[in-house]
Amino acid sequence: MSIDTLDERRTADAARRAAAAQARVCAEADAAALDGLISVRPRQAGPRPQPVWDDAEVLVHEPVGERYRRLVLASSTIAHTAQAGQFVMLTVPPSGGDRILLPRPMAIHRRRAAIAGTPERPGTPGTIELIYGIVGRGTRALAAVAVGATLQVTGPLGRGFEFAAGAASALLIGRGVGICGVMGAAEDAAALGIRTTMVLSGQRPEQLLGRADCAELGVRVLEATDRDGSSALTTLAARLRDHFDASTPERTPPDVVMVCGAGVLARLAAELGAFWGVPVQASLEAHMACGLGYCHGCAAPVRTDASVEGPLVCADGPVFDARIPIV
Amino acid sequence: MVAVRSDTDQPDARAAFFAAAPVGTAAGAPAVDLSVRIGNLTLHTPVMPASGCFGPELGALIPVGELGATVTKTVFGSARGGNPVHRLTEIPAGMVNSVGIPSRGPAGYLDELHPRYAALTVPTIISVGGHRVSEYAPVVAALGEHGAAYELNVSCPNLDRDGTDIGSDPAAIRAVVAAVRLVTDRPIIVKLPVLVASIADCALAAEEAGADGVCVANSIPAMPLAALTRRPILGNVIGGLSGPAIKPIVLRLVWLASRAVQIPVIACGGVESVEDALDYFSVGASAVQVGTASFARPFAAVEVARGLRERCLIAGLGSIRELLELEAAL
Repeated sequence: MSIDTLDERRTADAARRAAAAQARVCAEADAAALDGLISVRPRQAGPRPQPVWDDAEVLVHEPVGERYRRLVLASSTIAHTAQAGQFVMLTVPPSGGDRILLPRPMAIHRRRAAIAGTPERPGTPGTIELIYGIVGRGTRALAAVAVGATLQVTGPLGRGFEFAAGAASALLIGRGVGICGVMGAAEDAAALGIRTTMVLSGQRPEQLLGRADCAELGVRVLEATDRDGSSALTTLAARLRDHFDASTPERTPPDVVMVCGAGVLARLAAELGAFWGVPVQASLEAHMACGLGYCHGCAAPVRTDASVEGPLVCADGPVFDARIPIV
Repeated sequence: MVAVRSDTDQPDARAAFFAAAPVGTAAGAPAVDLSVRIGNLTLHTPVMPASGCFGPELGALIPVGELGATVTKTVFGSARGGNPVHRLTEIPAGMVNSVGIPSRGPAGYLDELHPRYAALTVPTIISVGGHRVSEYAPVVAALGEHGAAYELNVSCPNLDRDGTDIGSDPAAIRAVVAAVRLVTDRPIIVKLPVLVASIADCALAAEEAGADGVCVANSIPAMPLAALTRRPILGNVIGGLSGPAIKPIVLRLVWLASRAVQIPVIACGGVESVEDALDYFSVGASAVQVGTASFARPFAAVEVARGLRERCLIAGLGSIRELLELEAAL
C-alpha cells in the first residue's frame, strides 16, 4: 500500500467516524428534544379517509436539487382523499438482485386532482408526489425504478395536519425531506386563503426542497441553512420572533405552527408556540412495517406506564400536538 | 387542494383485486378441495396470517374471506405496553422486530379488538401468551367461546425457569397444553420456537398433552447493529428475525416435526408465494401462515390462497396432496 493510499484511507476512516459521531449526536439531541413534548391530538373533526392500495404508474421520477429524487405517481383514489400531512407506504420492487422486504413510509408532498378529458385533450389521473433522499438499501433500489413502471402504494395513512376554523395565518417549518411533511398543509392553507410563511431548512442552499411549490402556492419563504448558520436553533428562533413581530409586515403572530423534519425543530416550534400562545402541530418519522397500526412497530416517543402502550406514529400520528412540558 | 372527483377517476388496484372472482368458481370448473381440519375446526383453505402480522385494519384492504382464518396478535393475561423504540428494522432478506407484543389483556381484547375480528367472516384463531406455565389457561378461559381455536405462543421466556423459553422445554409445553385442554374444547395449536434442542420432542409433547396442531415456527432471536454507529438498532437490543431469510431453517423444522406427530403442522417462516407454500406442504405441512410478506404486499396471503387453487385447477387435480404426488412422481 502506498503512503498516498494509506493517507486517503485514513482520511476516509476519520470522515466515517465523524459521520458516526454526528449521527449519534443528532439522534440523541432529537430524542432529548422530543422528551415530554408530544401528545396525541384531539379527535379529528371529520372522518379519516379509508386507505387503499394501488398499483400506481410512475409518471415522473427525476432528481430534485442535488440530494433528492421526485416521484409522481398516478393514483386518483389516494390523490383525491389524502389529507394534509398524511403519508403512504411505498413497496420497493427488487433491483439488481437486492430485494427490499418492508415498504417505506413517505410523506405525500403534493396532491393533484384528476383533470377531466375533453374531446380535444385526454384527461389525466389524480397524482401524488413523493420526494426522497437515497439513504440506504431501500431508497437506492427505489431510485432504479423507471418512468412507466408501476409501484404499489398503500394510503392515505395516519393523522395529518388540521387548521382550526378561522385560522388566518400559519407558520410552517420543514427541514430536509421533512419539508414534504408540511407541504400538504401549505396546499390546504392556499385553498383556505390562510396567509402562510414556510421555513425551508437544510444543510446547503443547493439542497433545499419546496421553493417552486411555495411559489406556486403563494407561500412566503424563509430559507435557513447550516452553510451560513441561519438554521442554528437560536438564530432561527430569533429571526422568526422578529418576522412575526408587530413591526414587521406580518404584524401579528401566526395562528398555528406546523413542523416536520427534526425533533429539535419540533421543540423550537413548541417554544415559539408558547411564546406566542398558539398551538403547535409536529409531524414525526419512525421505522414502521405496516403503516396501518397492526404491527405496532412505530411507538411514538411518549412515556407511559409499563403496562400501557403509548401512541403509534402511523395511526395516532404522524402529526401530534407539541407543547413545552410544564416542569 | 380541493378534492374534486372527475370522470377520469380510475378505480384503485385494490378494488380490482376484490372484484376478481376466485379461480374455480366459474361454472364447469372441477371441484378443488383445499380444506384442512385442525381438531374440530375446518378451514376452507390452508392459508392464514401469522400472529402479529395481521389486524382488522386489513379488512378493507383485502378480501379476508378468502383466507382460512385470521390469527390475532398474542393476548397476555395482564396489560403490557411493549418495548421502547426502535421496534423494528430490515436486514437483507429479513426483518427484525422487538415490538414486545403490547396487549390490553383478555378483557381489553374482547372489548376493543374481538368485535372487529368477528366481523371478518372467517374463524378467529386467538393467539395467547404467558410468562409462566400457569398463565395460559386463565387467558383461554377468559376468552371462552370467542376463539374458533387458540394458538399458544410458547416462545416466551419462562419466569419459573430463569427465562428459558417455555416452548424449548417439552415438560413445560406438556403442562401448558394440559392446563389449557381443561378449560376449552376449541382446537389448541402450539406455536413452537426455532431454538429448541429437538423440535420433534416439542411437537410430540404438544400432541401427547392434547394439542390439535402445532405451528412451526416463530421468529429467531437476532441482534442487528446500526451500520454507522455500530450500536444496537433496536431499543430492546434483541429482536426476532423473520422473512425469507429464515425459510430454509423453518423448512427443516417443519420436516422434522411432521415426521414426529400425526396432528397437522402449520408452517410459518418466510412464506411469500404459492411456491413457498408448496415447499412447506411438500415436507409435511398441512397449512401455512403468511407474516412478514404482508407488510409490503397486504394481499400476499390471499394471493397464496388463490395460487394454491389455481395450481390445482391448472393441473386438473382436486387437492394439494394430489398435486404434490404428481410432482413427486416426476
